[in-house]
Amino acid sequence: MGSMFDKKQNLAERLKFVHFYSQWVKSVPNEVWSKQQAEFINSLFENARNFHLDAKKYLKSINRR
Amino acid sequence: MDIDILIKKIDMETFIKLNRELIGKQYWFLNADNPGELYGMLQDGLAVRIAVKETVIPNIELKFMKSDLDRISLREHMVVKTGKHIINISPLELQIAFKLYLGSDKDIEDAVYLYDIFSKYLDIVKLKQYMSILKVKGADYGIDV
Repeated sequence: MGSMFDKKQNLAERLKFVHFYSQWVKSVPNEVWSKQQAEFINSLFENARNFHLDAKKYLKSINRR
Repeated sequence: MDIDILIKKIDMETFIKLNRELIGKQYWFLNADNPGELYGMLQDGLAVRIAVKETVIPNIELKFMKSDLDRISLREHMVVKTGKHIINISPLELQIAFKLYLGSDKDIEDAVYLYDIFSKYLDIVKLKQYMSILKVKGADYGIDV
């Protein structure tokens, strides 16, 4: 049975969003997109202690890639 | 989520100083506690990961320069000014080519994003050169140089 998931189509859709987002970034003042990105990065730091893997499991998971 | 940091090879004594300084600033090394072991990993061409104490991500992936492309990254670095701070980054042209080389969907998205955002400022000759070194093509994704 073939896969129901169309990998090529999925990438095409994601790239469409990348183009859309990059156009948006270029269309607004730097303060607008950078504020959103700063909020995102800061939230990663704020939530860093809630990460579900310890260092050993994390290193194992990235070495599997 | 990680930030790759590439440095020229340093001796063990300098690495121990760096290790002490980072630990003093509340960072820790995920791979091992012993600086000698960490230095051995770096010498073996492996990366060591550094994060804020008691956290795992985000982290820094620190490694010694090894390949010709690593040397290009350092030699032809770009300087990013963020307010009072300055960060050296590898050339955008090389980042785009390398992302295409890595080739996962996420890497291709990153390459396309960088190309879209910085298209006006890219050195197309350099981009072509790096894409040729890495034997990658980008036309399927709109990176048609």
